Amino acid sequence: MFSNSLGNSCYFVARAIAALKLRFKFMKILVVEDDKLTAEALVATLANQNYTVETVATSEAAWDLTEAFAYDLILLDVTLPKQDGISLCQQLRSHGHQMPILLLTARNSSQDKAIGLDAGADDYVVKPFDPEELAARIRALLRRNQGIAQSVLEWGDLQLDPKSCEVTYRDKPVSLTAKEYALLELFLRNSRRVFSCGAILENLWSFGEIPSDEAVRTHIKGLRQKLKAKGAPPDLIETVYGIGYRLKLGKQQVEKSHPDSKEQRDTETLHSSIQNSLAQISQPTQQQTLALVSKVWYRFKERVGEQVGVLETAISALQQQQLDSELWQQAKQEAHTLAGSLGTFGLSEGSQLARWIEQTLKTESPLSQDEVTYLQEWVSLLRQEVERSTTEDTTQTPIEDEHPLLLIVDRDRPLANQLIAEAPAWGFRAEVAANLTRARDKIHLQPPDIVLLDPAISPTMAESLTLLADLNKQVPPIPAIIFTEHNELTERLEVARLGGRTFLQKSLPLSQVLESINQVLHQADQAKAGVMVVDDDPKLLAIVRSLLEPWGLNITTLADPRQFWETLEATSPRLLILDIEMPQINGIDLCQIVRNDSRWSSLPILFLTAHTDADTVNQVFSVGADDFVSKPIVGPELVTRIINRLERIRFLQNLAETDPLTQVSTRQKAAQELDKLLRLAKRHNQPLCLFVLGLEQFEQAGDRPHHSLTSHSPANEILRQTGELLRRSFEPEDVVARWSEKEFVIGVYGIDKQDGTQRLKNLLNALRQESFADSGMPNSNTPNSNTSKRAAQSLDTSRLTFSAGVAQYPENGDSLNTLYQAANSALL
Amino acid sequence: MTAKRILVVDNEQYIQEVAQVCLETVAGWEVLIASSGQECLHQAEAEQPDAILLDVMMPDMDGIATFQKLQENPATKAIPVILLTAKIQSSDRRRYIQMGLTAAIAKPFNPLELAGQVATALGWTLER
Repeated sequence: MFSNSLGNSCYFVARAIAALKLRFKFMKILVVEDDKLTAEALVATLANQNYTVETVATSEAAWDLTEAFAYDLILLDVTLPKQDGISLCQQLRSHGHQMPILLLTARNSSQDKAIGLDAGADDYVVKPFDPEELAARIRALLRRNQGIAQSVLEWGDLQLDPKSCEVTYRDKPVSLTAKEYALLELFLRNSRRVFSCGAILENLWSFGEIPSDEAVRTHIKGLRQKLKAKGAPPDLIETVYGIGYRLKLGKQQVEKSHPDSKEQRDTETLHSSIQNSLAQISQPTQQQTLALVSKVWYRFKERVGEQVGVLETAISALQQQQLDSELWQQAKQEAHTLAGSLGTFGLSEGSQLARWIEQTLKTESPLSQDEVTYLQEWVSLLRQEVERSTTEDTTQTPIEDEHPLLLIVDRDRPLANQLIAEAPAWGFRAEVAANLTRARDKIHLQPPDIVLLDPAISPTMAESLTLLADLNKQVPPIPAIIFTEHNELTERLEVARLGGRTFLQKSLPLSQVLESINQVLHQADQAKAGVMVVDDDPKLLAIVRSLLEPWGLNITTLADPRQFWETLEATSPRLLILDIEMPQINGIDLCQIVRNDSRWSSLPILFLTAHTDADTVNQVFSVGADDFVSKPIVGPELVTRIINRLERIRFLQNLAETDPLTQVSTRQKAAQELDKLLRLAKRHNQPLCLFVLGLEQFEQAGDRPHHSLTSHSPANEILRQTGELLRRSFEPEDVVARWSEKEFVIGVYGIDKQDGTQRLKNLLNALRQESFADSGMPNSNTPNSNTSKRAAQSLDTSRLTFSAGVAQYPENGDSLNTLYQAANSALL
Repeated sequence: MTAKRILVVDNEQYIQEVAQVCLETVAGWEVLIASSGQECLHQAEAEQPDAILLDVMMPDMDGIATFQKLQENPATKAIPVILLTAKIQSSDRRRYIQMGLTAAIAKPFNPLELAGQVATALGWTLER
């Protein structure tokens, strides 16, 4: 897009012409010469030989350029201001630069030559130089370095001779343009490599020319057509979809693929292994990586904007000739960073622009007006490129995977990797985030089904736990398990306050961690209640679905009421939503049918109705509806009513699972849980301890027996406090249950009888120290106290004793029943 | 299975992060971060990573100088170092190898290829 103005500047013309020269002659030479006249003469001589020449006047500038760009040869004046040429030569060699260095000096003593050659220079030319001699010496040096470059390149029937610049296919000459030739040579010299448009641009076009990817495609097309005209297959240069171009591997090439130089071999192994590694990376991993990369980009786009801003400021200062060296330096640094990073974020044109800017800023001052104009245009293009990308959301939708996703937020990578490796065996997949930022990115990208969080992920616990709050705000909320090395009460309280419910110790065996994750996942799964909606209006069904699904509800819609029964049986919803007016069968009838079937008589039913007159409402409730919502639907109202209804169901179920007095599990619930623990212990060869705790002297403790334990009785108070102490003393993953009226049973996975006995002793000590007089049992005798208080007064807590026993799986039994009996007969 | 630990050294935070994302997600390696040559020397000695991915152009101490310091310290001498650099031509690759560097990777790198390039250079396999 600058080609019209290219002709204005000698500088760019020289580069453009050089770029049109054939690639194999397209050598880059850096001239380090402080005398302007000599420098110009050198440039003229070298440009005449089709070399690309850069000139700088100081060793420092030369050093900067050699660090940033590759040169094929350096022509170095010995006498330079500050650091002289000999010392730069030494510096280059000590840093391992191997390009030929040709020294240029006015002196002509053999001692000087020796110093120069000792410093690592390859040859020596004395000023005033003879242009032909200089050119010959340069050719000789370059040839020495090129060696292999001169041999004929072959690819099947295709041959390219770099010496004569001839290309033949089956011995028939192919006439190519300079660019097509260079393109073909590039492919032949890197025969296994896939070149992207960007890489081709970088290799074949010189700094200063600004072709587009389109130009590359045009040249590829031209090259293909010319080869095809000589009988070559049309896809000799094949398109690798989404990546670029490469030579197509024919049968012949497979057979004779023995690279002839180590370098080539290295390049080939490197590239083929990249191809392999790309193939190794699964599609979801690729997508996820790219999505995360774009997350990083969005988080840092301001920073990138600032960097471009520095370039803008520097260039406008340059225009006003007010650019100080500090800003210049900073601009070079920012351009370098952008050049080296934008491509990673998919902005390869941005990288290219930044590289040109960097290179121009690195050339010795003063810059010509044209160069400044180019800089300005490049920076503005760079700004556009960066801005454009920030408005496009490049985030890809993650691939749907039916397996639940566990996000491990933990710095302990080996542990995380173990979990990741084990997860598939448990039916879920796992990912790791090593810090909170990454965790938030990942959650945003693809909400996990469960999070395992180590609060040590960030310096303060409070900061780590902000993630819990975030997870709770998700719709639906994402359950989290706290995974920690510490087990301090203060930490637990803090976590509980912030909404964390489940704790896991890092010391637990891996299998138990996974089992717990599985359990929580399963619970969350159950919480995903099914809702069935019947309405003959598909639009309304779509609305209801879109309103309810974000809340984690599983929605089944049905537009034809005639399929009602089959659908109901097949989906077993937890809640039914019915439209009143439907063809064939109306909602009222459906409701009655449901209520008349004993299996469904307690299914909550909610009506959608356009009529809210008293008659309709009465009729709705009389056939057994639980609630109704009027049409047109108001989103929040529907959601609230449904969620409330489901909460209520959950609450009722919970009630059956939790003993209302002691708040520990009911026997029924505990029996299921203990069975689960027992299966787990069997599967993983782990011990399991079952404790039985009885309140022995219970009946004698009161002045009269409390056969019916009312909630206000002192005996109940003892039970309530015991329950509370038990809940405090055991982990949420342990099973604590009120087994019978005066008996508790506790199951603990992964500990043996010895540990268990110690824990039980500690528990008994704690119980003995517990003051059961707190609320129900005042010490003073009060004549006018109420019944419960009187009962309490007479309760002699010193006579209250506990009996306790422990049994271990597998030693003492392998079923709940046998373990329970063993524990009961092994009372402490 | 112990995860490989790799120290990424770059003065620009977003490059640190993008490299971290790529290595973690694609290869599952643990990534440590240093923001300067000085920090790199310190972390390399303290953490003993399996490899170091080192940016060439950094203020104060550049990548080459950092590498030389790493080589001088017996505690860090054996850690393989891969350069991240704006340009690599065959001549560079040769000189890097001669200096004792394990490999050089061009910037900007392809996010999907970085881990593979590092693995190839170090003779590691991508485990995932």
